[in-house]
Amino acid sequence: MKTLAKTILITLALIFAAPGLAQSDDRDSNDELKLAAIEALITAPADKALPLVSKVLAGNHSTEVKEAALFILSQIDKPEAQTTLLKFATEESGELQLEAIRMIGIRGGDGMSNLKSIYDSGDSDAREAVLEAFMIAGDKNSVFEIAKTAEGDDFEEAVEMLAVMGARDELRQLRSARGTSEALIEACAISGDLECLRELAADDSDIDLQVDAIEGMGIIGGDEVNAALVEIYKSASNEDIREAALDGLMISGDDKGLLELYRSSNDSSEKKELLEYLVMTGSDEVWSIIDSALDGDE
Amino acid sequence: MNEQDDKLDDLVAAHKAETHEAPVHLKQQWHAAIDQAAALERGRAPAPRERWHPGSFFWGMAVSAAIAVSVAIGVFVSDDAIDNTPVPYLVENPAPSDAIPVAYTRGLQQHFRSSRQQLADLDGNEDAAMLVLRLVEQNRLFEAAADKNNAPQLARVLRAFEPILLRLAATDIAPEDAEALRAQLSFELNVMLTKLAKESSDETHST
Repeated sequence: MKTLAKTILITLALIFAAPGLAQSDDRDSNDELKLAAIEALITAPADKALPLVSKVLAGNHSTEVKEAALFILSQIDKPEAQTTLLKFATEESGELQLEAIRMIGIRGGDGMSNLKSIYDSGDSDAREAVLEAFMIAGDKNSVFEIAKTAEGDDFEEAVEMLAVMGARDELRQLRSARGTSEALIEACAISGDLECLRELAADDSDIDLQVDAIEGMGIIGGDEVNAALVEIYKSASNEDIREAALDGLMISGDDKGLLELYRSSNDSSEKKELLEYLVMTGSDEVWSIIDSALDGDE
Repeated sequence: MNEQDDKLDDLVAAHKAETHEAPVHLKQQWHAAIDQAAALERGRAPAPRERWHPGSFFWGMAVSAAIAVSVAIGVFVSDDAIDNTPVPYLVENPAPSDAIPVAYTRGLQQHFRSSRQQLADLDGNEDAAMLVLRLVEQNRLFEAAADKNNAPQLARVLRAFEPILLRLAATDIAPEDAEALRAQLSFELNVMLTKLAKESSDETHST
């Protein structure tokens, strides 16, 4: 009886909150009331909540109110809820479509199988939303399948999402299949794949990619990386590699390595550059070095 | 300035990797880099930004480093300014059934309440970006715990919060966009709080 009374109240709130400012982005008192009513639907039995949510979605309400209704749908464990979300994800455009796609990711389950076709037919925002939905659902494989054939920005976005999801094996397969690229090097770093970066840092066939890989090592950081970056700096055959190693050390925050290089250098212009890097890393030692430099001790 | 931006991008990238159990030295390093990145970010010229970009996960990575120690010991204790309540979130010996442990549910409810309050306090706060990052930190903690506590659906919801939080942390976000995102998150947090409360109540009444 309590539930019934609550449902009736919710219904009344949804009916009497006048939809006069439909599609306005401004949050007004009507929307506040509608949102409170929609929120309360989460406590209603699914068979009571579903028709009310559907009514809101079919009605002349603001985007914000409809997005709220979509969120409620994502929490209702009924096939009809999934059907409605898919309808919005495929037939709507703009924010509502993107939000429906997000809700499919939150809901997980069978609805996920429809996301690939939405990706294929959607615009760039929809494609990005689909990748995000796969991330929300923890579905690495679907992102991997997209990355295998995607091109340009789509490829880079899929690779970045795989990196965010920590999909090292999938990223290695992509590198084997499609060759090394800046996006894949960045993904190695994001996913913490040091082995991948070390291989690429030693490969001088493409100086730009080699530089990216060396800098990327700094992203992973740690004693092993820092020692390797110092060695790369010392044995660098050109200025680009040397600078990449310094960038890596700075990114890694390794002031010890930079200090070691500073103290072992006898070249004033090199010392000046190293001092700049030490300042950027915020090293505690930098003030005594500056003091010594000003005194002419170093 | 471009070079500085590049450096910032590198720092940003330095914290993208999503790992919940990082070595201690990395955690310390990430802590320091958060400050560096935030300081540089404040001095950076604003750029148009419409949707969340996966690269923004560096923030999540950075803050996940901060929570990693807490993950290891099974209890999260947040900063005084945020929340003083130790929240148990991992159950070493979960119930043999598929049920979500009560301790986790209670901790999650506390997280949702705390998040809702912090979102309400964000408006006009000079340190809004850092506060949002703390929210991301807490959110990641509970997301990791959800996966380990028979709660994949809650894990998905928590993962869905993160891109919104990261958009909210952007320093170049328009005030009206930030307000819309806060409103959306508050609504979703309220719904989840209500849902969890109802489920707890139903279980109590059925036992």
